[in-house]
Amino acid sequence: MIARPIDPRAWLLWAAAATVPPLVGRNPFVLLATTLAVLGVWAAWRDAATDGWGRLLRLGALFALVGVLFNTLTAHVGDRPFARLPDAWPLVGGPLTVNALVYGLLSGLAVFGLLLVGTTLGATLDWATLLRLLPDRLHAVAVTGAVAWALVPQTLRAFGEIREAQEARGHRLRSPADAGPLLVPLLAGSLERSQTLAEALEARGFGAALAPQAALGRWRGAATAAGLTLATVGAYGLAMGSPAFAFGGLGFGVGALWAAGRERGGGPRRTCYREPAWDRRAWLVAGSAGVVLGVEVAILAVQPAAFAYDPYPSMLPPAVSLPLLAALGLLLVPAAIR
Amino acid sequence: MSAPAAFFERVRFAYPRQPEAALDGVDWDLKTGTLTLLAGPSGSGKSTLLRCLNGLVPHFTGGRFGGRVLVAGRDTRETPPRELAAQVGFVFQDPEAQFVTTRVDDEIAFGMEQLGVAPATMRRRVDETLALVGIGTLRSRDVSTLSGGERQKVAIAAALAPRPHILALDEPTSQLDPWSAEEVLAAVARLHQDLGLTVVLAEHRLSRVIALADRMRLLGNRGLAVADGHPASVLPQMDRDAVPALAALGLARGWEPLPLSVDEAREWVAAERRTGRLPAEPPLDPPVPAGPPAIEASGLAVGYGGVPVLRGVEFAARPGELVALMGRNGSGKTTLLRALLGFQVPERGRVVVGGREVTRSRPADRAETIGYVPQNPSSILFAEKLRDELAFTLRFHPNGHRPEETLSEVGLTWAADRHPRDLSGGERERAALAAILVGNPSVLLLDEPTRGMDAASKLAMVEALRRRCRLGGTVVLATHDVELAAAATRVVMLDEGRVVADGDPRTVLPAVPAYATPISALYGGRFLTTEDVLAGYGERSLGAGLLTVSGGVS
Repeated sequence: MIARPIDPRAWLLWAAAATVPPLVGRNPFVLLATTLAVLGVWAAWRDAATDGWGRLLRLGALFALVGVLFNTLTAHVGDRPFARLPDAWPLVGGPLTVNALVYGLLSGLAVFGLLLVGTTLGATLDWATLLRLLPDRLHAVAVTGAVAWALVPQTLRAFGEIREAQEARGHRLRSPADAGPLLVPLLAGSLERSQTLAEALEARGFGAALAPQAALGRWRGAATAAGLTLATVGAYGLAMGSPAFAFGGLGFGVGALWAAGRERGGGPRRTCYREPAWDRRAWLVAGSAGVVLGVEVAILAVQPAAFAYDPYPSMLPPAVSLPLLAALGLLLVPAAIR
Repeated sequence: MSAPAAFFERVRFAYPRQPEAALDGVDWDLKTGTLTLLAGPSGSGKSTLLRCLNGLVPHFTGGRFGGRVLVAGRDTRETPPRELAAQVGFVFQDPEAQFVTTRVDDEIAFGMEQLGVAPATMRRRVDETLALVGIGTLRSRDVSTLSGGERQKVAIAAALAPRPHILALDEPTSQLDPWSAEEVLAAVARLHQDLGLTVVLAEHRLSRVIALADRMRLLGNRGLAVADGHPASVLPQMDRDAVPALAALGLARGWEPLPLSVDEAREWVAAERRTGRLPAEPPLDPPVPAGPPAIEASGLAVGYGGVPVLRGVEFAARPGELVALMGRNGSGKTTLLRALLGFQVPERGRVVVGGREVTRSRPADRAETIGYVPQNPSSILFAEKLRDELAFTLRFHPNGHRPEETLSEVGLTWAADRHPRDLSGGERERAALAAILVGNPSVLLLDEPTRGMDAASKLAMVEALRRRCRLGGTVVLATHDVELAAAATRVVMLDEGRVVADGDPRTVLPAVPAYATPISALYGGRFLTTEDVLAGYGERSLGAGLLTVSGGVS
């Protein structure tokens, strides 16, 4: 029997709270607290994940390590050199500093944390319920997104199979020129899988209830475009640590998209087989995530330095915000109620 | 007389950028309430015809379309597939490829949600459909936890829930083990009989379905029917290599009406028994000469996440042997192949190839000895031309064969300059085999090499593998295909990660009912193929021989 999933809206709120720290700063305490909390949730829910998501996580860890190496070798800035490569060597020549190593590690941790949030969502999110919650106008886009999301683990699994099959043939990946035998079958296979799924969706009536509303009103189109633009500005503001831009952009953007999505024409409506149930566990996850988000917003507004850390040009001790660290502990709530 | 469920009138169709027509002037009345079997070689137009029924051709595929198809009185040219979804339920080969949600009842309801069916009606229909297909106990299960047969039944239930008039199934059992295939076909037959549903089924492996069908449409080229009628009247017009075993035997022995099931054939055998004319039992196949194994696994134990998959497997294959690994989905066949390849590091035990432990060498070095054709041949095909694909392998195997010889060996000389992805499924599988064989590995491992293959392609592949064994090579293949296993020199049966039977196909296959061939079920003993019976009567086979074995008892 499948375990009863937690309402996807609660998970999305949790994910929003967990992605703020790695997006807005590089404070090691904050990043570590966030990553550990998300790791705890992933560990508790990982049995719900398909094999491909685990691969994605391993791939993410590899990318993070490559990032650390790249930053250490190429950022020759900082007051704590520990080695030196010949200056004549292009790009990597010069002093190697602890500062660059630390910044690389923190950036790697941030990337890994974001990926961990994504894989946890991949394991836990009940897409069928989420699709039902969306207004008709956004349904087609959302199904496409859900399908693309589902293809991620399949594609990673396919990559593993292709790599093994080509290695068994004698192929070795020694330079970018050797990538063809891996990438061509991967791309072609992904296209074939997408084609089959699209065909199956069409054969199963996908979009039938939406067809009569195909004519998009002019203002509705404008509202959708404005919503997407504002949401992008908001995400940029979040990444740049600008709370006004971030929350203004995201708030107005989501509002505009919601308004555009609510409007619809005549014709038959898509119906809903199972009404989503907002239960006690959803309250717990959403409530705790709401508290974390509230604390994050408040601290971003009054003490943004709590999220930040810059080891250049000198390495100074990072700021410690006990209220923020305590709040981040609440991200573990979904693990506790598994 | 009732109106046809679907009516094709002079239908012509060519896929985009394809100069040749896939359908060329097809006329067809699909009778209401029939179970029609579409048969014919790969590329004959079976899938294209099925896709005409729900408008995927031409709305989804694009291409040039002429003539008209009427389904429940609606012209498919003017009705898109999403609107025909209420009239035609469609089930694809791979159930996993068509699932959108994670829960069984959500999946069944998905199509109805799209069509705007009222929630109360929808819930009632989900209940009814679950009961009809016989999967009520799966209702709340996660689709990823289901077996292949269960998934395909969920796909059928999802197609049926909107209450279509026609159920179209495109090789629904090609990826299933014999047990699952039986379950799925039994569900389809029940729906046809209980509801009077019009069913159209495209299949390559005819022996399982032939007794269920009340009509058979045999396609030649471009969707045109060579014959259409009751299966017993159509089968004599088929290419002899593609005729199912019982029918092939009936044709050779002059049995009329032609038996379509073991039960029907028993009457003929009983009559022959009364006259004292029974065939002499075939001898056991000669044993492969003893010698050191080419590949050997001892005490092999493998697990995933703490779950044991292989439990102390002992396995060896000698030069000249063609070994078929068989067993249900999840019995450990693919894991054993991966362990033999060295990609699966065992928890205990070891694999030795040519006197050397396989995990102690790099994959690229092992490639000189072991060749591997994966389940999906497209995993290795990447070049623009098949010729280049073989040349790529030869970069790593300087002592390999000449590409022309290898292509001739698998019957693909004509395709040397073709793009591998433009080939049919069976041809693509043989192209992948050629890409590995050209490197001249002494041990060849194949994972489900005949999946979805037509009779001609299968015959060509088996001939190539047998030739390899005659030259001293070792072939190990994982398969559900009884026809292929019967052509092996040895069958190794796995169950829950253990070897439960190992020996001559004539002794191992009849011992497992799902793998017993119809001929074996009919005559017992060491009889396995149509040729065995005819040889026992002192007669010759009508076809090339190998493919008149046929799999699974209907």
